[in-house]
Amino acid sequence: MSVITCPVTVGTDMPARPRRRRLPLVIGLCVAWLVLVLLLALGADLIAPYGYAEQSLLQRLKPPALLGGDPAFLLGTDGLGRDVLSRLIYAVRASILIAFCGTLIGSVIGTLLGFLAAHFRGWVEEAIMLLVDFQASMPFLIIALAILAFFGNSFELFLVVVGFYGWEVYARLTRGLVLQANAQGYAFAIRTLGVHPVRIYIRHVLPNILSVLVVQVTLNFPEIILLETSLSFLGLGVQPPQTSLGLMLGEGRNYIATAWWMAIPAGIAIFLTTLSVSLLGDWLRDRLDPTLQTARD
Amino acid sequence: MSPQFVLTKLFRAILTLFLAVTFVFVVLRMSGDPVAQMLPDDVPAAVITQYREMWGLDRPLPEQYLRYVSGILSGNLGFSFRDDRPALDVVLERVPLTLELGLTALLLTLALGLGAGTLAALKRGSGTDHVTMAFTILGHSMPNFFLGILLILLFAMTWRVLPSSGTGSVKHLIMPAVTLGTSYAATVARFTRSSLLEVLHQPFMRTARAKGVPFRRRLMSHALPNAGIPIVTVIGLRIGALIGGAVVVESVFAWPGVGQLLVNAVAFRDLAVVQTVVLLIAFTMVAVNFLVDILYGWLDPRIGSARREVSA
Repeated sequence: MSVITCPVTVGTDMPARPRRRRLPLVIGLCVAWLVLVLLLALGADLIAPYGYAEQSLLQRLKPPALLGGDPAFLLGTDGLGRDVLSRLIYAVRASILIAFCGTLIGSVIGTLLGFLAAHFRGWVEEAIMLLVDFQASMPFLIIALAILAFFGNSFELFLVVVGFYGWEVYARLTRGLVLQANAQGYAFAIRTLGVHPVRIYIRHVLPNILSVLVVQVTLNFPEIILLETSLSFLGLGVQPPQTSLGLMLGEGRNYIATAWWMAIPAGIAIFLTTLSVSLLGDWLRDRLDPTLQTARD
Repeated sequence: MSPQFVLTKLFRAILTLFLAVTFVFVVLRMSGDPVAQMLPDDVPAAVITQYREMWGLDRPLPEQYLRYVSGILSGNLGFSFRDDRPALDVVLERVPLTLELGLTALLLTLALGLGAGTLAALKRGSGTDHVTMAFTILGHSMPNFFLGILLILLFAMTWRVLPSSGTGSVKHLIMPAVTLGTSYAATVARFTRSSLLEVLHQPFMRTARAKGVPFRRRLMSHALPNAGIPIVTVIGLRIGALIGGAVVVESVFAWPGVGQLLVNAVAFRDLAVVQTVVLLIAFTMVAVNFLVDILYGWLDPRIGSARREVSA
């Protein structure tokens, strides 16, 4: 990580970091990593040298090529003789796909409920906010574990459970923003013209509050990756022979003393991905909302 | 702090708890017939009917719900079929170990988070500040199970200074507590820094300085109490993450606490134990949130009436 040095003016409210027009190097690296991840996810079938379940028991636990292993297996092989690199690529695909679907489900449901609460007020709002408070007061991992225990594990259910993560933040955020927007002149003006509320919300209010929601997505996305990988790590998420980054770490931990290369690449992939999205989100937030700069920095 | 404020908060706490119980009941009933799940496929229908009567599953749903709630109120949370003992006993005997781990991690978090955050805010723009901020970002992105595995690889496998799993001594506690506390400490440090920075530029801080109030006193009795509200909020909000994290960390380090029990119970579908753990955690969370609310009123007497904030 590069440290940006700059002159500091003591005793004034000047931000410590000057605001730049150019893309900072760190953010550029984050974007590059995320593009790479996306390409791997989209082209897994073309890029991966082997299938994710392709076993070769004669090639078990080979170290990475650079550490004296077989050049045919760049990152070595796992306990069943499967190529770690290929599994990593498919794992990235699974984890990214789940995180995307999860973010989509949560943000759409949450935003919709937020709009409903702000539009109807009264008991609808009370009920939705009660659910929001309840959700916020329970650790989501526990709820997810309970649901997976009661209903049994299936990929579709797992996707829905992960999708519900963070809906309450979107709902609370949207409700507040819509209430604010409704009190502003433009919403009132359009309403006086007799435009249908749904149209007002979609065409006028939503574009105005979208930037805040986008920033929330960048906060939510890494957390969903961490939730999915945690559950898969515990053996309660994605099930073998399918693979995900968390599951690779979970499988690799039993071999950590002898074949660390089974687990470490997956861990690094998770770490870099969540880090990149977080940094990108921070940067985006500073760009989209200058008023937040002093409060956060 | 008005009694009305405390009562409103208490009412909300009880309501949340009631919702948690209802949630578990609904999920339990939606997930299928527990009798069919527990008994083998070739059991005669008469036995199934008998079990259904015994557990009151033939009654109408509202009655089942009432019986369920009154059962919970009297401490009856079902039988763990793996241990063949009341689920509550199975869970409660694991609580001390989880508390030991959780409280150590919490203390570590507060010391590290508050300390580093304060230092970073006071020396804004310095090397200390940059290192702290880098730590908060890295700590927040690091999955705790990966951190745990890395620590095991280094301290247990390579240098052999700490045990990789189990419990029994202070040495056993170090790695799990650090793993659990890291991301939490990162969040606390970040919030401490930003809310302290906001307070440090307030006019009353300048006034205090102009009056000649010594630095330590300005920090301890002027700045920190005023920066306290957001910090307490984030500590309270993240307790849930700490509990969720404990589930993962206990599994990584084979720490025989409630979290490890929950993971095993989920894997074996020991539903009585799962529901007991869920309700116990719900109760803990409600209690913590209630305490945080009361702490607000104490930290800032202006928070008297319980009104809901309009902004997020």
